[in-house]
Amino acid sequence: MDAFVATWAPAILFLPLAGCLAISFVGPRLPRSASAVLGCASVFLAFVLTALVAAHVWHLAPYDQSIDVALGTWAHIGALNIGFGLWIDPLSLVWMLVITGVGFLIHLYSVGYMGHDKNYRTFFAHMNLFVFAMLLLVMSDNFVWLLVGWGGVGLASYLLIGFYFDRVTAVLAARKALIMNVIGDVGIMIAIFLMFQHVRDVSFAGVFARTGAFGTSALDWIGIWLLVGAVAKSAQLPLHTWLPDAMEGPTPVSALIHAATMVTAGVYLVARCHPIYDHAPLAAQSVAVVGAASALFAATIGCVQYDIKRVLAYSTMSQIGYMIMAVGMGAYTAGAFHFLTHAFFKALLFMAAGIVIHNLGGEQDIRKMGGLVKTMPFAFWTFAIGTVAIAGVPPFSGFFSKDAIIDKAAALGHPWLFAAAVAAAGLTAFYMFRLLFVAFFGAYRGDAAVHVERVATMEIPVAILAALAVVGGWLVLPGDDVFGNLLGGAFSDVLHAQSLAEFNWTLALGTLMIVAAGILSAYLLYVLAPQMRENAKARLHGLRELLLHAYYLDDVYHVLFEAPAYAIAGACARFFEPDAIAGLPRGLSAAAGSFGALSRAWETGYLRRYGLTIAIGAALALYFAFTTLHAGGAQAH
Amino acid sequence: MPAIPLTDYLALSAAMFVIGVIGFLVRRNPLTMLMSIELMWNAGNLVFAAFARSFGDMAGQIFVFIVITVAAAEAAIALAIVVMVFRRRVDVDVDDISVLRG
Repeated sequence: MDAFVATWAPAILFLPLAGCLAISFVGPRLPRSASAVLGCASVFLAFVLTALVAAHVWHLAPYDQSIDVALGTWAHIGALNIGFGLWIDPLSLVWMLVITGVGFLIHLYSVGYMGHDKNYRTFFAHMNLFVFAMLLLVMSDNFVWLLVGWGGVGLASYLLIGFYFDRVTAVLAARKALIMNVIGDVGIMIAIFLMFQHVRDVSFAGVFARTGAFGTSALDWIGIWLLVGAVAKSAQLPLHTWLPDAMEGPTPVSALIHAATMVTAGVYLVARCHPIYDHAPLAAQSVAVVGAASALFAATIGCVQYDIKRVLAYSTMSQIGYMIMAVGMGAYTAGAFHFLTHAFFKALLFMAAGIVIHNLGGEQDIRKMGGLVKTMPFAFWTFAIGTVAIAGVPPFSGFFSKDAIIDKAAALGHPWLFAAAVAAAGLTAFYMFRLLFVAFFGAYRGDAAVHVERVATMEIPVAILAALAVVGGWLVLPGDDVFGNLLGGAFSDVLHAQSLAEFNWTLALGTLMIVAAGILSAYLLYVLAPQMRENAKARLHGLRELLLHAYYLDDVYHVLFEAPAYAIAGACARFFEPDAIAGLPRGLSAAAGSFGALSRAWETGYLRRYGLTIAIGAALALYFAFTTLHAGGAQAH
Repeated sequence: MPAIPLTDYLALSAAMFVIGVIGFLVRRNPLTMLMSIELMWNAGNLVFAAFARSFGDMAGQIFVFIVITVAAAEAAIALAIVVMVFRRRVDVDVDDISVLRG
């Protein structure tokens, strides 16, 4: 165990928790700004420590880069031994850097964005709680503590989606997110049960070292149950419906939890469990197919939505579909790389959109925007950088990471996944530029007065992220795979080659053509020829309705699950509850009451009756003693 | 002088006890009831003394002293209660004193 890492890794994990506790318990006695300072400072310190630890780890030899910091035993029950420890390797370091780094920028942004909110302190406490839980998720060295972090981020997500708890829609969205995430938690729990059943171990090291002892069928099942967890957390088909609703939360929450970090936990899980998926072909294939289907599915919905945050939510689902597809194919480095660049440009997009929403007094409908190029040039330029980055225009970051995934799909021989990825790339370019054109170009169409407020704490993080969204992709240049080399220590034992250095120029050019087609059609429909758009709208009315309602999946789930659950609950409340549940205690109390009434009649208060009772009782006792006991005793002699 | 047989003592004691029980059950004046109780106490004492004499064992006589002590204590408490009741009511009938009924 490495002394430097062993010293500082726990500090990284517990700093945000300390921040959360300090804000919660000491914060009320401090001025309002103190909670923001505490929240930002704790996450920033965690980031600095993470950077130091990362620099240290990446200076070690690749085979030394997986460090297990054992902190103690959590539970020891018979054959079950659950430790508590931290697993520091390049994969978790990449996630930790993004969680603390982007997390800090978003904390800083929130100082301005949430400035007018009355629950300012609560917000920062919950954000810190989230950072802690997310760090626990990626730093844990066993599946049980991973699940604890997994549940913890779900809780933080629930609290923050429902942050505006006086809005019914926000509360409902929070509940929906929690319920769908719990489905995933149960999936992971079942996977843990299966691991314990087969190898009597739940630690990463123990399970991964003995994948041979499982057999392919068991590994496939474990992989599929883990996929259930990943699908729920990462908002993939078919458990994605909570993510668009989660946009009810404040925009920094959407940027941090529902774009940059939490929703990529599924990608992390699959990449972390690569020893399982490498030997579970069926599970791995399911992962890839789910990812590709989600990427394409969400991209089509994104084309028609009008809520700026909903479009971004569907694009998040689509981009995470790419990552899930990549890790399902076995291209773990490519998936992690897209996670990194996506964290930059998607957080940027959300925060730039947040500036717009902030200045328009909460307006999120892009039909009521327009002409913001002139009034909000900063928001426009940063949003534009994010848009070209996500669309995959070189040399912006999204180009390199998306191209890496498409390359891998072709190189590993997955024609269908490849086709879905390319199609989704074209759609992404289309809907993102549609968003840009409709929201920022043309004339202003809203009713609310544009009230431009320039806040430094909001603009600085956005500017930093914009810079990262430009240069973040340069970690992987043709022939020079810095990112792959960094991650090499975590993926030394995988099935497929991870290097992203090989650059397929033909493919890149082909993808670029499709992206260009997407951008041009958006330009044509939304800037040049609005008449054509109206025609298309009229002709494709049915398709448009289908997409506007997100393929009616919410309604299908309502009929399939919600309605029967409500019916059963209603029937229970009407019939079962009053008779069976309430009936038992009511009957017991009635029985006790009537017994009491019976014995009360005996207590007359007449002294002489008591005397008579005693006399008769004594006489009977004597009779019994003489006839039965004494007679029996006599016989025995 | 011929010794009085044990059975005579026992018969006398039983008669005293039954008179005490019946007195306690049929009389409604608390003082009379207390006297009936005393009669029952002393029926018991008589049996103790008779057996002590018959078996030549002093334990029975010692028991009599204990019983007398307890009976004195009981009488003191009972009389205190009766006096308290007398102060509140003019005529005393135990059947009227039934506030402790269920």
